[in-house]
Amino acid sequence: MAAVAVHKFAQCLTCHAWSPDYSMIALCPSNEEVHIYRLSEGNWDRIHVLQKHDQIVSAIDWSSKSNRIVSVSHDRNSYVWNHEAAEWVPTLVILRLNRAALCVQWSPIENKFAVGSGAKTVCICYYEQENNWWVSKLIRKRHNSSVTSVAWHPNNILLATTSTDGKCRVFSTFIKGVDTRNSGASSSSDSKFGEQIIQLDLSYSWAFGIRWSPSGNTLAYVGHNSMMYFVDDVGPSPLAQSVAFRDLPLRDVLFVSEKMVIGVGFDCIPMVFAADESRLWSFVRFLGQRKATLSSARQGSQISEAFGKLYGQSKHSIANDGIEPSRPRGGIHENCINCIMPLKNRGDSKVTRFSTSGLDGKVVIWDLEGEEDLSEYM
Amino acid sequence: MSGRRGGPEEFVEAENAEAIILRIEQKSRKIETLLRQSRPVEALKTALEGSAPKTMDERCKSANWIVVHRAIMAIKDVDGMLFSLDPEYYDILMKYLYRGLSTGDRPTCDQCLQIHEKLTQRAGLGCILRCLADTENTV
Repeated sequence: MAAVAVHKFAQCLTCHAWSPDYSMIALCPSNEEVHIYRLSEGNWDRIHVLQKHDQIVSAIDWSSKSNRIVSVSHDRNSYVWNHEAAEWVPTLVILRLNRAALCVQWSPIENKFAVGSGAKTVCICYYEQENNWWVSKLIRKRHNSSVTSVAWHPNNILLATTSTDGKCRVFSTFIKGVDTRNSGASSSSDSKFGEQIIQLDLSYSWAFGIRWSPSGNTLAYVGHNSMMYFVDDVGPSPLAQSVAFRDLPLRDVLFVSEKMVIGVGFDCIPMVFAADESRLWSFVRFLGQRKATLSSARQGSQISEAFGKLYGQSKHSIANDGIEPSRPRGGIHENCINCIMPLKNRGDSKVTRFSTSGLDGKVVIWDLEGEEDLSEYM
Repeated sequence: MSGRRGGPEEFVEAENAEAIILRIEQKSRKIETLLRQSRPVEALKTALEGSAPKTMDERCKSANWIVVHRAIMAIKDVDGMLFSLDPEYYDILMKYLYRGLSTGDRPTCDQCLQIHEKLTQRAGLGCILRCLADTENTV
């Protein structure tokens, strides 16, 4: 069985994040608080309740090196929580938004964090030593609708976003005095702050859940029309693929390796997508359920070049032409999964374990070890 | 994508409307031939092919719907049809089924509902979602 641990923390969870050593979990039980639990002797004990927000906390991220928690909320504010003398001390970050903050992520070297919002705006926040203050710099007038998800490229400069206008965009977030020009990103670091590198017009409905592959070569995001989009060679001539699947739409994605993506969403069960040797992505199977036949599910998507002519070019990755078994209900999650987080040891490049949380209030830890048919993609 | 998200009252005439209509007429003749040869699945495929969903010209859409409707109504064996219909036609067929259901015409609705049930079993809820979520490529 792929699920190794299940725990119900609340009636409903909006998001969760892990401490650097994975001994603690921060989560929001769909209210204005952030709860921190620690696993001791097989029991989850609530050790802290972070109360500062006025409205529902929409996203949390816990930085792995600096051990700081950032939380964003529908109250339009963000707090950075520092662990000092056994207490979590909040620092208000004024995002300068007029709508709810929806998503947040620390940058890879943790000197910045990005917030997506309902104000059609992305905030890039960084710490100003001289003023002892987190500054929020806005990327405005680029999105036509709410920003539903943000993802940092490993180079710490590029930021990818998805929006309810259906578009996926990549921006430069270079900030003078915070980033250095030679931080490993060759051409992308020449761009100014807020410059749009690329806009992908693949989805014609809301887009959610975006992530970069570990190397930063591939982007994956989902549309609310039961589609997953993969973009290779993000830059002037991207290669885009659209994969349609037969089940309910996804909300969040996670790259397990360069060749494997886990999608979670309204079907309450993680879905595995994988790329073959020719980088063609397709739906493989649900997790926690054996794949019936290897061959039948391998009807790939179709690579289509560049933009413009992408509409209607997606091929179907509809598995099994024969009789389809009824969808796996009554599984481990009982409601929509809206958050997926990797569980990996520092230094490990690949992710074999990850956690999911959703509207059923459960956090489930999944292990891909022992899933033999998936090992080729790991 | 010139007439993007045009309201229903807004009349858009495609620049190449005459060419599209001409193509649909050719398609119509081909479908009649196929139906006479008792090849309803081939007829349906022909009807669904190149149905130009991107044009906002309602005249073209209606013309194509008449052709697709003719092919849909000729389907007797729904299971057999879906068995030999390639998956790439599923999304577009679903869109036309919803168009059929929206007519309110009893025999059309009966036929569309019957196909809808079988198609959903085969293509999943994702197919319905793609149909409902797509406001740009309408049929």
